[in-house]
Amino acid sequence: MNDTFEDRLLAELRTEMAGRAPQGRAPAPRRNTGRRLLATAAVTAIAAAAAIAVPLVTGTGTAAYAVTKNPDGSVTLTIREFRDPEGVEDELAAAGVRADVTYMPLGKRCERPGFRPLDADQANMPTKEELLSKDPAVRAKIREKLASSPSGKAIRMRNGITIYPRYVEPGQTVVLQIAENPKEPTVRDPGVAWQFSGMLTDGPVNPCRLVDDPGAFDVGDAVPPGS
Amino acid sequence: MRLRQPGLAGIADDPGAFEAFYRRHFDEMTRFLARRVDDPHTVADLVAEVFLAVLDSAHTYRPGRGSEIAWLYGVARNTLLAERRRAARELRAGGRIAGRRLLEADDVARLEDRIDAESPARRALQAMTGLPESERALLELVVVDQLTVSEAAAALGIRQGTARVRLHRARRSLQQVPGVVPPLVMEGIR
Repeated sequence: MNDTFEDRLLAELRTEMAGRAPQGRAPAPRRNTGRRLLATAAVTAIAAAAAIAVPLVTGTGTAAYAVTKNPDGSVTLTIREFRDPEGVEDELAAAGVRADVTYMPLGKRCERPGFRPLDADQANMPTKEELLSKDPAVRAKIREKLASSPSGKAIRMRNGITIYPRYVEPGQTVVLQIAENPKEPTVRDPGVAWQFSGMLTDGPVNPCRLVDDPGAFDVGDAVPPGS
Repeated sequence: MRLRQPGLAGIADDPGAFEAFYRRHFDEMTRFLARRVDDPHTVADLVAEVFLAVLDSAHTYRPGRGSEIAWLYGVARNTLLAERRRAARELRAGGRIAGRRLLEADDVARLEDRIDAESPARRALQAMTGLPESERALLELVVVDQLTVSEAAAALGIRQGTARVRLHRARRSLQQVPGVVPPLVMEGIR
């Protein structure tokens, strides 16, 4: 049966297939950019080559988002459409998480500082040299640093976005900022699909004032060399 | 104007067709990734990501623009580049299916063997790091992954003529670095 990695992975992939096409044939070769399921990534995550990171929901009648409480006390947020952030905030509040959710088009970001990051997060920020390093050991260290920061523990990319209230201290707010590229990147025309940032703050969060973020579209060397 | 074409378009909806595709390419994709990543858990994650990307983008395959394998290498390359980019920026390389969760001791051992088997290829890739990206990407696919020039050109979305010119240039610059070029690299470009 499922006795090797190859077989087990195939089984998972088939489950994934079954989950994504509930109504059978999907006639449109070009899928609607608005209906996306945000399901991977991390704090300040960038998914280049969109096809990889952004699965698409072809079903009808799904809500724009879903908030579910898990047995371990965590709360999972699944976003299918980038609209109604206030509704997301209300549902998260009902689940015991005070959140500030902002959606924006890719290429914009909220003016900084919109809120005060936690000191402990700041202390865990990788240095510029570390970010530029290609050494796997350094990269592993960056991931570990970020994952063990207070925000990294409280907000994780697991089945969508999962928030662990036990790591959110009283008075802290979960700040989620997501920028979506209105133009869906493809394998032939790669680009950044979306950016996600999830941070904790213990102070107020100012209303987001959008400013330009020209670097947002930068996919580095993910673009195949042009002919 | 996008016409629905035969070919891979069906594999995202048809479990039988997908399984056939998966079985056909699983080994080759695992080797492709083992040439570039030396940690079995990361290889497992990336194999999962590549086949998820296949499901997401099967509709982009156009039979007229290169073979199935060329298209798949294009997908795999983009997956890998995305992963490398993510590694520097992200908290953790999250995926919809964490391949590493599916690994058992036997699988890890098998992957480690495979990674070991690909170590000459990794050394060859190392030797190419000094080349400009456009030449290096092409040389990798032709020399290390053994694609034909036309397949490699299709995987990178460039014309065959352009590919030949770049290969020639890459070969010339590698020849100017005596001693650092493993025989593998030069053999492949004949």
